[in-house]
Amino acid sequence: MSKEEEFTRIIKKNEGVIFKITTVYTDRSEDQQDLYQEIVYQLWKAYDSFRGDSKISTWMYRVALNTAITRLKKEKRMGNKVGIDQVVLKQTENYNIEFEEKLRILYAHIKMLSDLEKGLILLLLEGKKYEEIALITGLTPSNVGTRVSRIKQKLKTQIIKE
Amino acid sequence: MELEEMQEVWSEISGQLEKQKKLTDKMIIMMTQERYRKKWNKIVYPEIFGTIICFSVAILILFNISKLETWYNILPGILSAIILLVLPIFSLRSINKMSGINFYKNSYKDTLIKYTKNKKQFQSLQKASYYLSFLLIFLILPVTSKIIGGKDMFTGVKNIWPLMIFIPLGITFFVFFAKWAKKCYGKNIDEAESILRDLQAEE
Repeated sequence: MSKEEEFTRIIKKNEGVIFKITTVYTDRSEDQQDLYQEIVYQLWKAYDSFRGDSKISTWMYRVALNTAITRLKKEKRMGNKVGIDQVVLKQTENYNIEFEEKLRILYAHIKMLSDLEKGLILLLLEGKKYEEIALITGLTPSNVGTRVSRIKQKLKTQIIKE
Repeated sequence: MELEEMQEVWSEISGQLEKQKKLTDKMIIMMTQERYRKKWNKIVYPEIFGTIICFSVAILILFNISKLETWYNILPGILSAIILLVLPIFSLRSINKMSGINFYKNSYKDTLIKYTKNKKQFQSLQKASYYLSFLLIFLILPVTSKIIGGKDMFTGVKNIWPLMIFIPLGITFFVFFAKWAKKCYGKNIDEAESILRDLQAEE
């Protein structure tokens, strides 16, 4: 399998993860598409340096999250966008209203958190253990635990405010 | 929404997304190619263009420094040339530092610290640039008047009314401009400092 084929296989396998990261870190669909492309591009750029000493998912989360936080938010948008909004960024037609509302609330809660907290909650929701979160974020597992407790507290406060 | 409920909704999204995988090989390759082209258009070209203009003006001033004759024309000439040479270099360096973070080697926390530090530096530089650019407007006036028009703005101008209007207007504009720059960049710098404090205090 060629390098390109292997890379496209990995991206296709993890496109849902990239989609969720872009949703958490952007507010507008245009920015989301922009970030989606930027993540795929950065993954491609970093692909050669991936030596398999960590899990591919750990590597992917690290590159994707790092790209999301360092993206220049006020960049002038130039050039054409590849029409990914017609595919992966479109939610399925089978959504019911109740689920959509829950989804809206979920994203609203996450977007109120700081950049670091967004990354932590995202990994937590993805079902990652504290050790793997620590590996991706560079925090210690106990530090991850402390911060997760703080996030939980923050979420509770948000609910009270509502 | 509690964390447990969030996890439920999240896994439901994962399930839905799993069902609708539609990204094609061609699309992935197109994304990487398009992004590469865009990056050059977005950052490098405008920066190089701006730097060429600044450097050209600085060279023009330095080549014609003898035409400025008196110290009160030479001094603004030298200061203008320094600003025009130094600012683009610092700006390019700062942008280069921000975009040069290794996404693979650095952890999320390291990236956040490095990026926030570089962003803080960049914002401080932008703030200083605004002040210096405004100063440049005043400095370059006697220089261009002498080099291009051949007139000494301090002694050779008979009608002082345009200056009497321009200077107070300029100062008023500067006060508002400085306040805006302080508010705009000061807030961002404060936010960056608070993120750094939070991240660095833990380890």
